[in-house]
Amino acid sequence: MFRRGQTATALLFLAPFLITILVFFFYAFARAIYYSFTDYNLFNTPQLIGLKPYLDVLGDSLFRRALANTLVFSIVVTTLQTVGALLMSVALNNKIRGQSFFRSAWYMPSITSSVVMTLIFLWLFQRRGVVNYLITQWLTYQPVILTFLGVMIAAQIVQVLYERSRRLPAKWFDPALAAMSALIALAVTLGLNFLGLVGAREVTPYDFQYFSDSWISLGGVRLLSMPLLVVVIMNTFTTIPGLMLFFLAGLQNIPGSLYEAADIDGATPYQKLMNVTVPMLRPVTFYVVTVSLIGTMQMFDQVAVIGSAAPQETLITLAYYVYTNTFKSGAAPVNMAAAAAIILALIILLMVFIQRRFFVSPEAQ
Amino acid sequence: MTSSAVPSPPARSSAAQDQDRWLARRRWARVGWLYLFMLVMSLFFIGPFLLGTISSVKDNPNEYPPRLIIPQLTPRYIGTAYDLGVQGGADGWNGGLLPGRSVTFDVSVRSPQDAPQAPPTASLFPYQPQSLVALARQAQARDYATVRTEQTGGAGDVREYRTTVTYPPLTRRQGEVVRATVGPAGPDLTAILPGGERVRVTLDTPEAQQRQFDLSETQAVELVRAGGTYYLRGPIIQRTPLQVDVQRGQSIVESTLPPSDRQNFDRSFAYRNVTPGIFGYTFNNYRRAFNETTNPQTGQSLFLRWVGNSFLYAFLRVVAAIVFCSLAGYALARLDFPGKTLIFLVAVLFVQMVPGQVNLVSNYVLLRDLGLLNLWGLWLQGLVAAGGVFLMKQFFEGMPRELEESAAIDGAGPFTTFWRVMLPQAVPALISLAITQFGGAWNDFFWPVVLLRENTDFTLTVGLSSFRQAYGGQGDYGLILAGAVLSAIPMIIVFAVFQRYFVDTGSDSAVKG
Repeated sequence: MFRRGQTATALLFLAPFLITILVFFFYAFARAIYYSFTDYNLFNTPQLIGLKPYLDVLGDSLFRRALANTLVFSIVVTTLQTVGALLMSVALNNKIRGQSFFRSAWYMPSITSSVVMTLIFLWLFQRRGVVNYLITQWLTYQPVILTFLGVMIAAQIVQVLYERSRRLPAKWFDPALAAMSALIALAVTLGLNFLGLVGAREVTPYDFQYFSDSWISLGGVRLLSMPLLVVVIMNTFTTIPGLMLFFLAGLQNIPGSLYEAADIDGATPYQKLMNVTVPMLRPVTFYVVTVSLIGTMQMFDQVAVIGSAAPQETLITLAYYVYTNTFKSGAAPVNMAAAAAIILALIILLMVFIQRRFFVSPEAQ
Repeated sequence: MTSSAVPSPPARSSAAQDQDRWLARRRWARVGWLYLFMLVMSLFFIGPFLLGTISSVKDNPNEYPPRLIIPQLTPRYIGTAYDLGVQGGADGWNGGLLPGRSVTFDVSVRSPQDAPQAPPTASLFPYQPQSLVALARQAQARDYATVRTEQTGGAGDVREYRTTVTYPPLTRRQGEVVRATVGPAGPDLTAILPGGERVRVTLDTPEAQQRQFDLSETQAVELVRAGGTYYLRGPIIQRTPLQVDVQRGQSIVESTLPPSDRQNFDRSFAYRNVTPGIFGYTFNNYRRAFNETTNPQTGQSLFLRWVGNSFLYAFLRVVAAIVFCSLAGYALARLDFPGKTLIFLVAVLFVQMVPGQVNLVSNYVLLRDLGLLNLWGLWLQGLVAAGGVFLMKQFFEGMPRELEESAAIDGAGPFTTFWRVMLPQAVPALISLAITQFGGAWNDFFWPVVLLRENTDFTLTVGLSSFRQAYGGQGDYGLILAGAVLSAIPMIIVFAVFQRYFVDTGSDSAVKG
């Protein structure tokens, strides 16, 4: 139609967007690259000093720890999130009454801010906090709970064998029989408890210090610190619901005929999940993994809020490293912060690129 | 039910009937398990927040072992708190102790035969809030009120005692009682009346003169106006902390309010406030979040200020996003111009992939040089969200071409087409966009913590995280949990109202795109 007029209009429409992006993104980006080759410390005039900031950063043991923490965190959380969100969306995709209620309830953690969540988790994971209390309770009632589970499994086995002897095709996880088994186990456990044969036992309160310098190591290499593990749990908890929605939207696009065909072939729920759902969700999975990688690599809020409550080494991430180096009291090594930021950006771009190159299925492109 | 009316079907073998019943039972059981699972998961996902909310009303959220039954949430004690507030200050909601009032507080003490039989000793103790910023010293109940304990009854080992806290007025003049706040320090004690008028306060009794230098600025007081002169009746005391000690071998079995704290092997009970009112009892931590963050220079609540900042920032972000993101999204989706793909790839996709930390230094320096290390700089820095542009582009691409064509036939230019035809169609997408931007701004932490330097400029997230540093780095969890719950409420309301849009936000476009 009016092609020339359109170019002018388009640029006019795009102007606010492009101007802010140019100033606050591209100019900033270029300046960060420039700073990363200078001796800048926020107050002096930058002088080019070549690759020294990068070498300084790579030689900084705190940076290496931050890099390791970030990579471990990103990989662990992305895996947990993707698998968790997928399973949850499959569970929620059942056509049952009250689906929207459950969807809202499950979505709750992702609308609260990371700061609020971190503060609540700090409280839950205190030395004398709710989590340690629950662990103490579990230890106290372990005999009762294990009795219940043991009786339930035994009852289930007996019932399934009995049904099979009646030539009914009972499966090991048959829900109706499991309900019966649970009732039997409850009755037996209550009875044993009443007779005083099984009961709560005395345990000393469990008071593990989560925000301390303790690590999960493998062959002498410190992999994951306890404080970071708490953040892993929290981050998985808060982001699963959001990602779940993507899978849910994807699930709604899978034609039901595929499942019907699988049913006719006698596929188990597990086989249906692995052979129909997962392959059909590959484009969504790609998107979810990308979003999750970008998000987790930049994890900052939780670390900043926990701050001095945990030893710095255990929690520091690249994003936090950049922040602390920019605002270090005295002459801040801003050039090192810039170099670390560039390295962080390169890692993210590389991850997304690799992901796109090797893991994406043809139909997603 | 109609089986008697219709001819019964040919008798099936009992084995087949068994199998039918068995399958039906199995279906029901599966639904049951599914619901159980969904409920457990719901509890799991709401649990931490719910637990935090319940515990935020506790006197001591760090109580161990944690209890789910909390006196602050039982009707009986809420009622008692109301009564005590009425006794102390004629206000069952806010409580406090006013001059000329007295409050009675009952305790039952068990003292077995072989234990000392002396009555408990009751005394008032000072309470000074110590929060983020230096606070003006508040008048303490201990300095003004007296405590008397007498036995009122008893049966067996248990004796009942009544403790009366009396606060005599500092003047004996009669007249109209007015409330005011103490004015700035000077040679004479002055007070500022509610209308803003500053008056001299006359201290006509030795007791009043003794207190002249104890009262700090902004302290709320009661004055008596008689013949154009204002006499000091006494400061309004916000809380009345009472401590009751019993002898070794005795124990406290019952009291008007449950103790906030037990010390000295259960022989020393502290009641943080015996004139609480409902706000002072159940919502004490919430009230503290507002009151104990008062800026001493301005007398303004910092917490309230942070809430205001967060709302302003979120509002500005939403408005900017609606205008600029839809313009840019429309241009990228529907207009034809050279470099369109490049702009999309570089300015939308690439921008979303590069972490914000890269721009930290540069944007900080830029805004510092512009003198914009405040809310406006924060807003300017994130004026147009690339994610929002992406969302709007996806939406406009899905709209039918015919709309624009018919507009063009009617002679509408591109701007009119956009403004009159396309934008009204885009309301659902705009709501989604507004919600994402509101949520993003409300929960934003990284840029605010980088750019906001003054504690009056903080947004709620930054302010809240500074609560954790209070109390020697330990964190005052009563305050933290109350603040956390308060700051989550707006998002929960938005979520409750616009639930549908949350669930749709972006996910569809991402899956289809």
